[in-house]
Amino acid sequence: MVLKRALMPVALLVWLAACEPPGSSDEPGSSPLRGSIIETGGERPRFTLSDTDGQPYSFEDETEGLLSFIFFGYTNCPDVCPIHMATLASVIGRLDPADRGRVRVVFISTDPLRDTPDVLRRWLDTFDPGFVGLRGTVDEVNAVAESLLLPPAAVPVNAGESYIVGHAASVLAVTPDGGTRVKYGFGTRHEDWAADLPLLLQWKAQVP
Amino acid sequence: MQWWCSAQGQPWDWTWQPYVGVWLFVALIAAGYVALRRRYPPTEPDNGDGRRGAAYFVTGLLLLWAALDWPLGALGASYLASAHVTQFLLAGIIAPGLMLLGIPRGAFGVIERRPTLHAFLADLTHPVPAFLIFNVGMTVTHWPGVVDAAMATQAGAFTLDMAWVLCGVIFWWPLLAPIPARPGFHPLLKIGYLAFNGILIRPPFAMMLFSEYPIYATYELAPPFPGTSPLHDQQLAGAIMKVVTAWIMGVAAFMIFREWRRADSLLEEGSAARERPV
Repeated sequence: MVLKRALMPVALLVWLAACEPPGSSDEPGSSPLRGSIIETGGERPRFTLSDTDGQPYSFEDETEGLLSFIFFGYTNCPDVCPIHMATLASVIGRLDPADRGRVRVVFISTDPLRDTPDVLRRWLDTFDPGFVGLRGTVDEVNAVAESLLLPPAAVPVNAGESYIVGHAASVLAVTPDGGTRVKYGFGTRHEDWAADLPLLLQWKAQVP
Repeated sequence: MQWWCSAQGQPWDWTWQPYVGVWLFVALIAAGYVALRRRYPPTEPDNGDGRRGAAYFVTGLLLLWAALDWPLGALGASYLASAHVTQFLLAGIIAPGLMLLGIPRGAFGVIERRPTLHAFLADLTHPVPAFLIFNVGMTVTHWPGVVDAAMATQAGAFTLDMAWVLCGVIFWWPLLAPIPARPGFHPLLKIGYLAFNGILIRPPFAMMLFSEYPIYATYELAPPFPGTSPLHDQQLAGAIMKVVTAWIMGVAAFMIFREWRRADSLLEEGSAARERPV
C-alpha cells in the first residue's frame, strides 16, 4: 500500500511520456506532408541571382524537374540557418544517389556585405558542396522573398561588423513539377524531412 | 538570470553563468549533513563512519554540484545529449551512492524508531521495487518527449534532476543502507542485482545508439555546438551511458565481493580460534 503510493509519480511520468504528440510539424490538414502547403497549381518561381562563382543563376531553368529547397539566411547566423542546413544535408545525404541527384538546396544570402562569394561557398561546403549559394543586393533578395510570400530580410544599417540579420526562418520546398510550394518552419526535425522527402520527390500538383 | 539550468535558445559560449538554485540546493544538503554529523558522531574514529564516511559524502556532493552547475548543467540542459547523460551518471548514480555511504550509521536509527517510515522504506527499497523504480525512472526520465518537455523550463529541469537523485538513492539503498536490515539479500544476490543493471540496455539508450535520426528535439534544434552533430553527440551519449554504467556496476560488484570474502575470512578465523584446543 505504502509502495503503491510511492509508485504513483512514476506511473504519472510514464503516462505523460505516452502522451507525447507525434512529430513537430504544423497542422497538416488533409495533406500527408508534415510541412504546410502554401500554394498548389502555381508555376515554378522565376528569379535570377548570382551564384558563388559570380555567374547568373536562373532558378527556373536550373531547378527544372528537381525538388528544390529555398532558404534565406546568412553565414553568421548563430542558430536557425546552420540548423536548417545541417539537417537538410544530413537527411538528403541518406537518400539513394539517384534521388539525391534530384534534390537541389538553394541558399540565398540576406547579408551580402559579409557573405562574399568565397565566404558563402566555404560555409555551404561545410554542410554539402552541392548546396547552391546565391547573392544579390538586399533589395534584389527581398524582392525574391516577397515574390515567394516570405518576409523580407531586415539588415541593420551602420551596425559595424557584428550584427544580426532578421530573415524568414522557413525553408520553402518547390516540388519537381514546380506547381506546389511547401513551407517548413524552424522546428522541422530530421524525421519530418525524412518522412516528406520521398513524397515531395513524387509530388504532382492537384490542378483543379 | 536563471536559477536552474534549462534549455536556452542562445548559442553556447564559455561565459560563466550563476545558477543560484543549484548553490542553494547544494548548501542545504551540506548544512543537513553537518547537522547530522553533529547529532550522530561516529562511535569509533575508524569504523568507516568517521573520516572515510565524510570523504564519501563530500565527494558525492561535489560531483552532484558539478553535474548540476555550469558548465556541465548548462551544456546538458540545452546543447549536448552527451553532457546530459554525463550529468545523469553523476547526479543519478555516482553521487547518491557515495552520499548514502557517507551518512553516519547512527542516523539510520531514526528509521527504526518510526514504524510507519520503516515499513514504507522496507517496501520501497526492497531490491525488486528498487530495481523497477530505478529502471523505470531511468527510462522515463530519458524518454524523448519527457526530456524535451522538462528541459524547456527551469521547473521541469529541476524536477528531472530531483527524480534522478531520488531514483539513485532508491537504487543504492538495499545495497548500502543498514536499515531496513535485509539478511536474505546475500552478497551473491547483490552482485547479481548490480550485474543485471550493468548489462541491461534500457529503451532510450538503445534508441540513442541505434536511431537513424536525433531523438531529442532539445539537442537537435539547439544552436550548433562546435565539433559535433546532433546525431553523433547522441550516439556518444548512448555509448557513455552504456560503458560507464557497466563500469560503475562492475566496481560496486567487485567491492561487495571483496567485502564478502573478507567477512567470510574473519568468520573462518573466528571458528578456527574457537575450535583450537587450549
